[in-house]
Amino acid sequence: MKKQLLRFQGVKMIYHTKNGETTAAEDLTFSVDEGEFVAIIGPSGCGKTTLLSLAAGLLTPSEGAVENEGISFGYMLQKDELFPWRTIEKNLFLPLEIKKIKTPENKERVHALAEKYGLKEFLQSYPSQLSGGMRQRAALIRTLATDPDVLLLDEPFSALDYQTRLNVTDDVAEIIRSEGKTALLITHDISEAISLADRVLVLSKRPARVLSSHAMNFGEVKNPLKRREMKEFSAWFELLWKELNG
Amino acid sequence: MKNKQEFSREHALFLKKCKRHTLVVWAFRVGILALLLGLWELIAALEWVNPFITSSPSRIGKTIGSLYADGSLFYHIGITLSETLIGFFIAVFLGTAIALALWWSDTLRKILEPYIVVLNALPKIALGPLIIIWCGTGSKAIVFMTVLVGIIVAILHMLNAFIATDRNKILLLRSMGATKFQILRKLVIPSSLASFISMLKVNVGMAWIGSIMGEYIVSKAGLGYLIVYGGQVFKLDLVMSATCILCLLAALMYFLVALLEKVLVKAPEQN
Repeated sequence: MKKQLLRFQGVKMIYHTKNGETTAAEDLTFSVDEGEFVAIIGPSGCGKTTLLSLAAGLLTPSEGAVENEGISFGYMLQKDELFPWRTIEKNLFLPLEIKKIKTPENKERVHALAEKYGLKEFLQSYPSQLSGGMRQRAALIRTLATDPDVLLLDEPFSALDYQTRLNVTDDVAEIIRSEGKTALLITHDISEAISLADRVLVLSKRPARVLSSHAMNFGEVKNPLKRREMKEFSAWFELLWKELNG
Repeated sequence: MKNKQEFSREHALFLKKCKRHTLVVWAFRVGILALLLGLWELIAALEWVNPFITSSPSRIGKTIGSLYADGSLFYHIGITLSETLIGFFIAVFLGTAIALALWWSDTLRKILEPYIVVLNALPKIALGPLIIIWCGTGSKAIVFMTVLVGIIVAILHMLNAFIATDRNKILLLRSMGATKFQILRKLVIPSSLASFISMLKVNVGMAWIGSIMGEYIVSKAGLGYLIVYGGQVFKLDLVMSATCILCLLAALMYFLVALLEKVLVKAPEQN
């Protein structure tokens, strides 16, 4: 039995505005094991981003509990959100500065990551001088800079064009697997979820609940592009499509 | 990297075209100025209009020369310039500080919003008599007026910039565990740099409006004083001279801010 890193237990989330209240999530229960890559798909506007904020502890649930104590998170957003006035190197150091752990060892580790994943020659460049794919790669390295236990990925590829997107997805999957990270991906793209994850959770319309959980049976194939070519892929796509729209 | 010789013929032509374009623009700029000055001089010299009313470039030159000769030129310039600069810096720094406080506290912002709106809409010159009574008839009153004209613009301009900070970048920093002060220092302030520069540019104009307006209301010296005095005694040469010097000073100050922009904004602006 693997260790559970993150656990949602009967989580209910209510948003309050002057015009009333919205229940974004109701009785949300699931867990993520150590080293597992979990993808969550759901209809648009079902509160996916809320879920990540809850996981990271940025929001407190109205009811239920999010068990995330002692776990560090790395958050990756739709856009790279690199700071344009900082060089790539300074962008990568940002989480170290915020957490006040900009030690020589940590800087060394970030440099090693940058070198390993082909960003070394861009360290002194500004984000605007990099392609969309490279920028997203830099954003991932920035997320990895503090060596977090769990990566929270909020549709990190949705702002890229299709061609770049397939490549970057491949890229990011490779890096996350080789660093042995636990990841929770939120997306509305069914094929992205299937191609990346060990397990796919399907959320209902608002208020969000977990409708079903599917372990992806691609054997040892982890590569997103290869998965897309396998015959199981379309079967999964059809099934999840039906669940989402059913 | 290619060096110059390797560029194509087309590129050389393109560069030549750019150069010619710049040349044409400058030729027209200088030409228009020379034409206007020449025409002005001509109208006065041929007395198509009484030069007593229109003055003329040569008379302005002479007036400035005599001001310089009796030592009062730099005295008046110094007074107005110092009032303008002191007012400018107080307005910019106090305004930015207040904007920061308003960004920090939503409640404070909501409380003060109607006051700022009213102060913004109020024509500051209406406060002239009050300022004289409060601050006396010296330079203090004029600096006060300059600050008053500039500070609201500074507050509103910077507050808008701070509030417009990218929400996703704030979320990103919060996910890293950033405190509000860290968000301010690492994100809000640096991302508002461009707005700060544009606020400085706007406030250069505001500061001159404030100081000259102040000198119109109450003053014993300064360029605004020269203009008012010249108008009262019908010395149009003096009015025109002071106005020309004002033009030069305002342009110089704007140019300095533009220079500051080049130094501060290092990151290449693309996309």
